[in-house]
This record gives sequence, C-alpha cells and structure tokens, in this order.
Amino acid sequence: MKEYDGRVRLVFKDRPLPMHTLARGAHEAARCAGAAGKYWAYHDLLFEAQPAFRRDDLLRYATELGLDTADFTRCLDERRYAAQVEADVVQAQALGINGTPTFLINGRKVVGGLPLEELRAIVEDALKARR
Amino acid sequence: MCPAASYSRSVRRVSLHGRRPPRVYYKSLLAILALLAVSLARPTGGGAQIELTVYAAMVKGPASAPVTIIEFSDYQ
Repeated sequence: MKEYDGRVRLVFKDRPLPMHTLARGAHEAARCAGAAGKYWAYHDLLFEAQPAFRRDDLLRYATELGLDTADFTRCLDERRYAAQVEADVVQAQALGINGTPTFLINGRKVVGGLPLEELRAIVEDALKARR
Repeated sequence: MCPAASYSRSVRRVSLHGRRPPRVYYKSLLAILALLAVSLARPTGGGAQIELTVYAAMVKGPASAPVTIIEFSDYQ
C-alpha cells in the first residue's frame, strides 16, 4: 500500500467461510477494534495469530493493543457487528465470491492468493487503464 | 359398445379440435410473447448491480485513488 500511496484504495470485506467455525467471531472482534480506532492493528494480529480465535484469544489481542477491555468485551459478547459481517457475506455471495481471498481490482475479479508480483502487475494494468 | 361406434366418436373429437377458432391460437401466441418480453426485460444475474457497504475503519487510501481493491477475506 505504501508503494501505491494515494493511487490505490483498499477496502477490506468480511468473508468468513462456513467451515471456519471461529472466523465469524474474529471478524466481529476486528470490527469492535475498528470502533475503537484499531481496526488494522487488530486485523494484522488476527492474521499472525490464526487460527487462535477463541473468545479468550480475541480478548487478549484487544488487551495487547491497549483497547478498553470492558468496552471491547461488551462489543464482542453483544455481537454488535454480527449484522454487518453477515451483510458482507451476503454481498460476497451475490457476487459469486465463495473462496478467499478474492479481490475486485477496479471491478476485475481476482481469485486466490496470488504471488505479490502477479498482484502488482494487475494493479499496474489498472493504473495504466485509468491514465 | 361395438368397435364401429367407438371409431366414429374418435373421429368426431379430432374433427372438433381441428375446428377450434383461430383466436385461441392468437391468445396463446400473445401469452408466449408477453412471457418472452418479461424475461428479456428482467436483468440477468451477471449484469445486476450489487451495492457494497463500506465500513470506514476497514478502508486504507483516499477515495480519490484511481484504483480500488476490494478484498474479501477470511481470518481463519
């Protein structure tokens, strides 16, 4: 992202897969962290810590990031962002996105974790097309 | 019932179908055309627009950026 500063916008969407039983809670927790201004830090922690996503793990990550534990616990236990995560899932399904990661790069669908060079080439193409 | 009588009734039925007024066919044709028009007017799945919600905290980079990457991902 630093490489494309100002030229690329990244929008993260939740697509917890049904077989990943702990994923949905992790996505909801990340949104709770987002409400406290730490979405990306929490997001990075989750990717480093996967698949340790039990409630205690999620609370511990929040503590590590210095989030207000009481607020975060309430947010997680109330499942405050469950509807938003579900909305992302519904939108993904409507787009036929059933595997992760899936990228839409200026509308072009790219499925799967591509090597960085390949992804970079697609971004460069998209940038050229906009010039 | 004798076979001759049975034959005679059968012929009469065929003959009745043969004399059905033409307007019945026009009605059927119009109904088929109407169904066809409705199905053509309905947007197909591939062309349908899907509105994506964006949670501000889950975005990096300016809205004015020429390239937008939307990543659907699973933490697990």
